[in-house]
Amino acid sequence: MTKRLLAAALVAGFLAACVASALQFALTSPLILAAEKYETAETVAPTRVSANALIVFAHAGHDHGGEPQWQPAPGLPRLAFTALATLVSGVGYALLLGAVLVAAGREVTPSEALKFGIGGFLAASLAPAIGLPPELPGIAGAALESRQLWWVATALATAVGLYLVAIRRGPAAIGLGLALIVAPHAWGAPHGPEEISAMPPVYAAQFAARSLAVAFAFWAVLGLAFGWAWGAVAGTKGTARRSEVSA
Amino acid sequence: MVAITRSLSPALVGERLSAVLLAATLGIGLLFVSGFAPVVALHNAAHDWRHAHNFPCH
Repeated sequence: MTKRLLAAALVAGFLAACVASALQFALTSPLILAAEKYETAETVAPTRVSANALIVFAHAGHDHGGEPQWQPAPGLPRLAFTALATLVSGVGYALLLGAVLVAAGREVTPSEALKFGIGGFLAASLAPAIGLPPELPGIAGAALESRQLWWVATALATAVGLYLVAIRRGPAAIGLGLALIVAPHAWGAPHGPEEISAMPPVYAAQFAARSLAVAFAFWAVLGLAFGWAWGAVAGTKGTARRSEVSA
Repeated sequence: MVAITRSLSPALVGERLSAVLLAATLGIGLLFVSGFAPVVALHNAAHDWRHAHNFPCH
């Protein structure tokens, strides 16, 4: 079963990464590049740099002072590294999706895996985006660690909440599940100083909407592909499915 | 057949447990590298992915 889970996750992660990479190149990467022009323009002005010293330190990736740090060259190398990161994350999310499916004891079919994939979108994309909307480079936020902590806590609480509501059912489970889903938002996401950026607001609005659209496509393909690959891997082994049932 | 599958499903034992634990550990490791690792080179390599998928990023 371990091999089957790993193989299906590799296939699903690869397929989802192909779709997500194509969508990212078409929809989100151009907006990130456009936003970085404003980011560079803002940090070039000396008054802005001194006023935002904390943000400059937190944003170490863009050579704001200090030694220049490695980053992928513009153009094709940057796209390639983005695709690689998408692939690594796709396989990572597919492994988690598979682990949850197997742990829940569900029969793994494309439609069942799609439902869990949509659950993954709700937990890891939509719920964190309510408190921390997808942001373009150059927009100031609260301390990175506090946002990462809130992000992880929200994704976990939403995932457990969805499990209680959708799978465990029962009045107590549904009540506890809804409470878990609402709790991170009642607690509140960490927010940084509100600043006025020179960047046109339409960029940020477009980016947030497109980011969620790409995430939905990514999770939908991940779920469908995992369900399909799970069956396909068993098919190539012939008796794998039968031996599993009798085990 | 369905009954056998159902009676097996709640129990996380043996091969099923090890598969779940291995996949979850690997999955969390890969996501940490691509989404959260503070190493500057990893951040820069995965920068556009992190923004596009709403991982908190700088």
